[in-house]
Amino acid sequence: MKFTKSDLIKLYTNLVRARAFDTLAKKMLTEGKFISFYHEGGWGDAAGVGSTTFLRKDDVLSPHHRAHGFPHLIGKGCDPKVYLAEHCGRSTGCCTGIGTIHAAFEDFGIYGQTGILGSQFSFSVGWGLAAKKNGKGQVVVIHFGDGTVNRGNWHEAANVATLWKLPIVYVCENNGIAQYVSIKNSYPLEDLANLASAYGMPSVVVDGQDIVAVAEAVGEAVTRARAGEGPTFVECKTIRISTHGYGSPDYCDGGLRNHNDVEELKKREPIALFEKKLLKQKVLTREDMDKIKKEAEAETKEADKFCMNSPFADDPSIFDQYLYAK
Amino acid sequence: MKEIQYNKAINEALMEEFARDEKVFLIGEGCQVSSVETTRGLVDKFGKERVIDTPIAEMAIVGGAIGAATMGYRPIADLMYSDFLYAAADEFLIKSAQWRFIHGGRQSLPIVFLAAMGGYRKLGPDHSHCPYSVVLHHPGLKVVVPSTPYDAKGLLKTSIRDNNPVCFFFHKALIGYKESIPEEEYTIPFGQAVVRREGTDVTVVAASYMNHLALAAAEKLKDQISVEVIDPRTLEPFDLDTVLKSVSKTGRVVIVDEDTKRCGFAAELMAQIMEHAFDDLNAPIKRVCAANYPIASGPLEKYVLPQPEQILSAIRETAGC
Repeated sequence: MKFTKSDLIKLYTNLVRARAFDTLAKKMLTEGKFISFYHEGGWGDAAGVGSTTFLRKDDVLSPHHRAHGFPHLIGKGCDPKVYLAEHCGRSTGCCTGIGTIHAAFEDFGIYGQTGILGSQFSFSVGWGLAAKKNGKGQVVVIHFGDGTVNRGNWHEAANVATLWKLPIVYVCENNGIAQYVSIKNSYPLEDLANLASAYGMPSVVVDGQDIVAVAEAVGEAVTRARAGEGPTFVECKTIRISTHGYGSPDYCDGGLRNHNDVEELKKREPIALFEKKLLKQKVLTREDMDKIKKEAEAETKEADKFCMNSPFADDPSIFDQYLYAK
Repeated sequence: MKEIQYNKAINEALMEEFARDEKVFLIGEGCQVSSVETTRGLVDKFGKERVIDTPIAEMAIVGGAIGAATMGYRPIADLMYSDFLYAAADEFLIKSAQWRFIHGGRQSLPIVFLAAMGGYRKLGPDHSHCPYSVVLHHPGLKVVVPSTPYDAKGLLKTSIRDNNPVCFFFHKALIGYKESIPEEEYTIPFGQAVVRREGTDVTVVAASYMNHLALAAAEKLKDQISVEVIDPRTLEPFDLDTVLKSVSKTGRVVIVDEDTKRCGFAAELMAQIMEHAFDDLNAPIKRVCAANYPIASGPLEKYVLPQPEQILSAIRETAGC
């Protein structure tokens, strides 16, 4: 798949914006502006941006919980500030402040988010069926980690999705650690992509820190799905340099994570890796990049301000109309 | 009028609603044939795209229904036995119930969970549950428990047209029950109980198959005690007014509930009657429920599930005779 110069700039811009929102989210949690919790991106954000930036607006997207899906929502074109406001329990939030960590942007094919990981596999069956029934070539892109794919609903969904040739791309963001358990203690093989082969679902393993590689692999899978050829499993080998939930100790396999291992991971920071390529290919200059970063920072400042100027959700009289539709 | 069997009434409602709205579809294991004939024949008329056979995969069935509902379809998830819903507890109880609420009322989830509930067939602890009290513990789900062919048809049509997730639990002991229903189309609104038998001494509230046991008990006692029998028909929404009106007349209540006694629907209804009509009561409310054991298989089932003689003695004791 060939990307134009403007495609690459779009990828870079979205990645920088995603990182800026991750940085802001951590700051706002520390400042007490977030109501519940935040699971930081830990530099695993290239997979989320790369897999979503070139989707159609009416494609269905289920974001990952890492970085709370900011990379995915930004890639899809949603306005991140209303999701940020949701985290702050403000009535301007995408769910009017009642969901806090739940994203919903139906106009962008995002029909909600789950806090019990794995439900997105079950939902993917219905989204895939609906997309197929609609007959407009919509594709469903589902994100999850190396931990979530151990749930049994992966099997149920993968089986029927392949059987029925549903237009789905399963994007696995494998950062090698699920909360406090490393992959070596949760899966016996090297590649999670093996999980797809049991159903005859095509799979591909890519460097999840290489945003272009992710965009290419997902792009090919999307093309297959749109053509009615069924689902694909894209495993993105990514990293998590942080702990699971911002503020908690960086546990791993019964103790603390080895500091040297984390330092080693930091060599794979995806923005720096992408910048090297963009400079070499003369797509962007250092000045261009600084400008994009400044704009992203300005956007986050505005978003912070938007949240703080919005009223808290504080009207329980809406509960009845939220509970049941008429 | 025409005579129709309980399971055929369900089938007729499905046929009519499938024809009425092309967004309606069915998904479930073996639903193209159906072991109890509720969904039989739909595939011949409406095709495999709308009557989807699945592998044994409750999470995919229930989650699939939710996903399709968020995108404007009106799925009916056929779970066969209501016990099987536990295999998709997250999707069913957490997701379908809360999805609209937690996303700020942005979406509606028009889903019907179609399943057979109840015992009295000696099928044991995996095929005899009445899981409605578990369901009712999760606000956002409606619960329909029809006791007659007329109600089964009219309430299922309403369930399919409702814009929320609805558990339609028909009772497997009622499958062969026949009655006459109108030829012309009808629907039945939710939240309207029916007084099946009028009486002045004791109010008995009993849903689904229990209503038939309650009516039989009332008939047996008719020379000594005048029993009023109420069929709630839907447990959420629940028609408390009809119950309270009856209590104000009789002052004595027996609740018959096939579900486990502990933390069951009977306990909830007792509490509600005491909250709203304590001064009307002339005796403590009695309840006849399944004993606090798993539902035993085979011949021992009768020691767990409510039995006719227990209902008779509960009514007698409440009436003080």
